[in-house]
Amino acid sequence: MRKLIDAILTPAKQARTLGANQWQRWFLQSEHRFTITGLSRSGKSMLFTSLMTVLKYRSEEQYQCLPLLRYLPMELVDQMWLEPLNDLPMFPVEQHIEDLAAGQWPPATESVAGFKLIVRLRQAHQLKRYLLPYTDVVFEFIDYPGEWLSDLPMLGKTYTQWSDSAWAQQMNAPQQRYAKSWHDCVNAFDFEQPPTPGNVQQLVNAYRRYLQEAKSKGISMLQPGSFLIPGSGFDFTQQGFTPLPSRISSDVASPWTQCFTQHFEAFKHQWLEKLKKDTFRQTDKQIILVDLFEGLNHSRSHLYQLRETLSHLADTFVYGNENWFKRHVLQQQGIAKVAFVATKADLVPVGQRDALLSLLKDVTRGATARFKDGEVQFEHFLVSAIQATDEGSHDNALRYMNDEGRYMEAEFEALPPDLKSMPEDEHYPVLPAAVPPDYLARMLNGKGLDRLLQFLLEK
Amino acid sequence: MKTTDDSPYRAKIQQTEIKTQRPDHAMPVKQEQDDWQPAHAQQTGLSAKWWVLLSGAACFVGFSVFEAIAFIDTHFATAPVSTSILAVLLSAFVGSLCWLTGSEYRGYRRVNTFLEKRPVKAELVGLSQPEQVIKQLDNYAAYFSAGSYAERCYRRFKSMRQADHSVDDLLNLYQQYVVVPVRKKANEVIKKEAMASGSMAFISPNHLIQTLLLLWISVRTIKRVSQVYGLRPATTGNWKLMKILAQNLAAQSLFDLATDEMTNQLSGSLAAKLVENSAEAVAASALNVRLGKALVKLLDDPSEDKKLGDYR
Repeated sequence: MRKLIDAILTPAKQARTLGANQWQRWFLQSEHRFTITGLSRSGKSMLFTSLMTVLKYRSEEQYQCLPLLRYLPMELVDQMWLEPLNDLPMFPVEQHIEDLAAGQWPPATESVAGFKLIVRLRQAHQLKRYLLPYTDVVFEFIDYPGEWLSDLPMLGKTYTQWSDSAWAQQMNAPQQRYAKSWHDCVNAFDFEQPPTPGNVQQLVNAYRRYLQEAKSKGISMLQPGSFLIPGSGFDFTQQGFTPLPSRISSDVASPWTQCFTQHFEAFKHQWLEKLKKDTFRQTDKQIILVDLFEGLNHSRSHLYQLRETLSHLADTFVYGNENWFKRHVLQQQGIAKVAFVATKADLVPVGQRDALLSLLKDVTRGATARFKDGEVQFEHFLVSAIQATDEGSHDNALRYMNDEGRYMEAEFEALPPDLKSMPEDEHYPVLPAAVPPDYLARMLNGKGLDRLLQFLLEK
Repeated sequence: MKTTDDSPYRAKIQQTEIKTQRPDHAMPVKQEQDDWQPAHAQQTGLSAKWWVLLSGAACFVGFSVFEAIAFIDTHFATAPVSTSILAVLLSAFVGSLCWLTGSEYRGYRRVNTFLEKRPVKAELVGLSQPEQVIKQLDNYAAYFSAGSYAERCYRRFKSMRQADHSVDDLLNLYQQYVVVPVRKKANEVIKKEAMASGSMAFISPNHLIQTLLLLWISVRTIKRVSQVYGLRPATTGNWKLMKILAQNLAAQSLFDLATDEMTNQLSGSLAAKLVENSAEAVAASALNVRLGKALVKLLDDPSEDKKLGDYR
């Protein structure tokens, strides 16, 4: 009898629970799904760590952080908590805080992690307070190795197209400088040999050495970036491929072309499609993190290469208007708001920040040109997730503690406001700022996060 | 990330080691509890007005006693102590009256200066440098009376300011942390005063007492709302407000006549009296709210778009 009652009641209970959840989702939750797009070394992990810490201290300890964030007024924040995001491992924020406490910057991300951050706001309106006592603002964040991101444009290409474009890129500056060994290896390689696993591995290893060298020299457009990270979900030791000279890749009958085409398709279907579906899910807001210092540290051609990379990346995502009809009736969802963010802005003195912002606009010119007129709202921001530097003796100088524990004053010559103003033979070395001992206060005093969140959250 | 010390390019950053101690960053300021109360709640002792009333009453009593004594003992010269006391009381009364007159005059001047120095958002938006905005706002904030709600909000706003804030950022911050909370607090005070005004009107036994109570509550409303805005006006405050106060009293008197007539027409029953008192209470509340709103309008930025405050 009890079993019978349970059999009748269980579906009803489930429906009731589902109904309550659905009610909550419709009326009490305001979901904001962000895609944070950032190449390797763009500061995604530090940004997440800082964001979570700042919001936590703001809502729980009532510290007056993020003063320009009007969307989440401090007096209405009731509580904040984290939840896992689907089946993804939790973002290791505690580990990153421990790293900072130990004087280490958070390590480079080598696997995917995610979290859902929920901020509960009390209802301010007298009448609504009884009907809808609170509103939950839900943020979804996914951290991933930046190397994976640069692989996404490969989804729209055939092996031959990709091989030709990769080869062409290697022939141009700045990649050309680091590709010599790889090119020597290919020139010396006998393509009349069959593509046995040993031979394929020989080429893949030489290509990986080039990728690693180029990465260490500040090149951002490296494909396949997934080959650089051992933890990626694709086994490049078994199904590896490399770009081939056009004399080989254009010969469809060549066993090498056939073998690499097969491996390339496996890479796309087994790895990239799944990656795009799970990690780079379509959302309505996008933050594109740009590390201008990597380019400024090396040369003007690195910055041109960064501009090209960002332009290719803009092709990977779907942009468009976020109106209700399109989203709910036509089931079309596009990114309607894009924030281009230059991270680590504290590494530039106050007097040069306008030039840095102008440079950011110039570097992202190719990407913004792809947005349809008026359909996508975009803005540029300078953000420092942690204020690692101090004011200098004048507006064009700043002070920082270097990794040897020496307190330095760095005096900047004028930053170029655009790429064409940057002389080919000059550069701005990145300042090796150490983690400050008062890292918590400096995170809470970080700049620009409030402006960025307000832009993304406001209607 | 490593610097390219071995770079073939010319470095455009010159670095020198300095021997200065690295400064520690302080944690941001914490949000204060919103427990501000108008000054009356914390006031101890008697106010100047009470001193005037009491000394006047004392004079009245003193002269009465003196007259009584004189009546009993017509020999004026034989009562030196009493005459001395009466002289002292009279001096205190005259002195207090002079002081009150002076402070009323100063309060009147202060309201006018406050309104003249009030920053106009439409003008501030046109400024190009954040420093100019800060200077204007600081100049205005210097007129906030110590311990007022506006002064407290402004302190919070100052702690939020950052070097990289633009003119727009500063104005939004000022809006969010000063203009909106001050307006909200003023409305809370007005609501409370309106409730008090209605209650007084409801329980007052006759029209004279009711008018006096309304006058007292209205003056109190002006004082408390002004305190929220950082102004400490005298009782007369500003002639514009006094005009509204006079209009309110006239309107209340007319309303009393109308309700009396209505009660006479209906009957003299307890229910009719209850209805009459209720109607008068509602009218008194409404008139008090009208006074408060007029005051808020006077003290607020005239170019202010109130929708800006509605940030959610």
